[in-house]
Amino acid sequence: MMIRSILTIALGLVITSSALAEWGSLKGRLVFDGDAGSPKELNVNKDTEYCSQHKPVDESLTVGDGGGLANAFVYLYVKRGKSVEVHPDMEKVGDEPVVLDNKGCRFEPHAVLLRTGQTLEVSNSDEIAHNTNTGALIANAGFNETIPKNAPLVKSFESRESFPSEVVCNIHPWMKAYLLIRDNPYMAVTDKDGNFEIKNLPAGKHEFVFWHGPNGVIKSLKVGKTKTSRKGRAKLEIESGETLDLGEVKVTGKQLGM
Amino acid sequence: MNNSFGRIPWLGVLAVVTMLPGCDSVDPPAFRMNMVEAVSYETAPEYQQEIADVLAALFGTPDEPFALPATGLDQVMLNRSAGPAWSDEAGYNYGLYRKHCVHCHGITGDGRGPTAMFLNPYPRDYRPGVYKFKSTYNPAKPTDDDLHRVLINGVPGTAMPSFSLLPGSEVESLVEYVKYLSYRGEMETKLIQYVFDELGVMEKLDDEGNEIIDANGDPVMERIPFDPTNDPDQREAVMDLLAEVVDAWDGANEMIIAPTEDSIPAEKRSPEELLASIEKGRSLFFDKDKGNCYSCHGPTGLGDGQQDDYNNWQKAHKKFLDETAKLAEKDELDDLEASLLDDREEVAESLYPLRNAIPRNLRQGVYRGGRRKLDIFRRIYAGIAGTPMPGGGPSAPGAKAGALTEEEMWNIVDYVYSLPYEPASQPQVVTPKYTQSITN
Ligand code: HEC
Ligand code: HEC
Repeated sequence: MMIRSILTIALGLVITSSALAEWGSLKGRLVFDGDAGSPKELNVNKDTEYCSQHKPVDESLTVGDGGGLANAFVYLYVKRGKSVEVHPDMEKVGDEPVVLDNKGCRFEPHAVLLRTGQTLEVSNSDEIAHNTNTGALIANAGFNETIPKNAPLVKSFESRESFPSEVVCNIHPWMKAYLLIRDNPYMAVTDKDGNFEIKNLPAGKHEFVFWHGPNGVIKSLKVGKTKTSRKGRAKLEIESGETLDLGEVKVTGKQLGM
Repeated sequence: MNNSFGRIPWLGVLAVVTMLPGCDSVDPPAFRMNMVEAVSYETAPEYQQEIADVLAALFGTPDEPFALPATGLDQVMLNRSAGPAWSDEAGYNYGLYRKHCVHCHGITGDGRGPTAMFLNPYPRDYRPGVYKFKSTYNPAKPTDDDLHRVLINGVPGTAMPSFSLLPGSEVESLVEYVKYLSYRGEMETKLIQYVFDELGVMEKLDDEGNEIIDANGDPVMERIPFDPTNDPDQREAVMDLLAEVVDAWDGANEMIIAPTEDSIPAEKRSPEELLASIEKGRSLFFDKDKGNCYSCHGPTGLGDGQQDDYNNWQKAHKKFLDETAKLAEKDELDDLEASLLDDREEVAESLYPLRNAIPRNLRQGVYRGGRRKLDIFRRIYAGIAGTPMPGGGPSAPGAKAGALTEEEMWNIVDYVYSLPYEPASQPQVVTPKYTQSITN
């Protein structure tokens, strides 16, 4: 009896620890270090009457009330030809499409994450016409299509991209969004308060890319005990069953190329 | 360039980069590196040299081009197109590219020949492998027939002349050579990106893959050379990248837009039928949820709807110039940034003035991509690759319908054809803000 319960406990421990053993998470908060000022107004010189009501602003720097930097990408770097172990819960690419909407003469959201094979749905909620142009993609063939209201474009991509690329509307050239396509789920975009979290990473040492458009990789960024390289990558150790919390990561205008 | 490759065992072929010093007083022409890409990716000089070496091993030189079997390019045709212009005893012409194209498109196919800067639009930079006037879906490559058609017809309304007087075999060889320059240019960019993504100065690893630590407890760093000859992983990556380039081109024939028979308007239509179609086309042209053409081409079709945008070639330069200007504005630059700024400013100075992409003035009735109805139909279906003009048809073979049905696109074709004859109720002159800085 005694022995049995000891065994069960021991076994139970083994089981729980092995379930936790291999996976860990990364989180943090990007904070803009400096005076972001108020967002710049745009030169809305096309469909002015309609678009001006929505007051689109320059989104190349979006800083929340508490100083959080929104729309920065943080994602796992994986060497070419290598693949990363993916947590069973995240293996399957979601059936729900990722929506990129043309709304109020801007793209919603501004920063989009998409997995290879996943459906991207480009829609138009505006009363005016837009086109959506992904010609800047590198590894995938892009498209440039008129997006009518009520007839969204659906698209999926086969190859992973190394970096987010610009999505534009040529009718309203101020409109910009960024699209990152990866063949694994380990990517995040900072929310309006600058927070991000990447869950269920395989435990171990990994490199993570820090990226913000339009300037690109964020260099010399202090993350935890280390700094990002000239390539915007930082090597971080993810421990099993733990969440590595980078806390507040300060980003200067200089690092964003401003 | 010093040819360290000699025999390239990993390719099983003889390198063609044999350049003996002293055998000629003038240097033979060399391919120029894509400095906008190299500097954007902060490619170190050692890597630039290594990339140039790998490209030379894959593609040879302007005088001795080389078609790796994996490219499927025809070596005989490349030989006829490349090198200095001359004719053999049988009257066969060689050096066709240098004779007919180089003063506009440049040795490297970068669109930077000696006369290029003075032309509007600028001659095409073949290196990104993007072509405007073709029969295929927007992101697809042109077919050989498409390039052939461009050479025979030229691009009316631009400096690109017609080469219809050249013998067929010469035109074919030139098409092959244009593709060769695109393959090489695309590959160059891929290699620059590969080096950025995969190589660089990294922690030195021992045989077990563990970091080696120096006396201070810091990891020992080393530069990983780009040397596919001696590194099997790099070799595989290079061949994969080449296959990506080649596959896209090889797949062009499966990407041709073929209108369905029923949608094609009958040869002989009554004036009433034609008028009805034109009228439909006209309302589609102005319908924001359909053609939406007026947004860019303007309410009277003069091309004055949206003139602030750029085509992809100019957009890449604009991005480079903007980033350079921002770097120059900074107060404190560290050593690395200072030298980067020097590089950037040097490249920035070499770029031609930026020009906006101006939608075509449709009242002139000049169609650069050909004036057959099928040509206009395909422009409307797929848009014009590399430019702001979007497509109205499905985005890929088998994809769901786009904004316009085929029948509607044919209606718009009829309207476009009628536009030069339609009286402009409020005649407007195109009033670009900077006359000097537009692409008409
Ligand atoms: C006098 C200058 C000039 C010469 C000579 C010239 N081109 Fe061009 N070429 C141009 C210009 C300008 C364009 C761009 C047209 C545009 O963008 O509408 C162009 C575009 C092209 C294109 C792209 C067409 C497309 O669909 O995008 C090809 C291919 C081309 N040229 C091949 C050649 C070849 C091959 C030769 C020599 C046999 C040649 N050109 C000679 C000026 C020239
Ligand atoms: C987002 C802007 C935009 C929209 C919308 C647009 N165009 Fe264009 N269009 C352009 C630009 C820019 C060019 C010039 C491209 C070039 O040659 O570089 C062009 C060129 C053309 C040409 C010239 C083709 C040739 O062979 O010379 C035609 C015809 C044309 N457009 C028709 C249309 C029609 C019809 C529509 C609507 C179905 C339309 N365009 C919608 C921007 C646009």
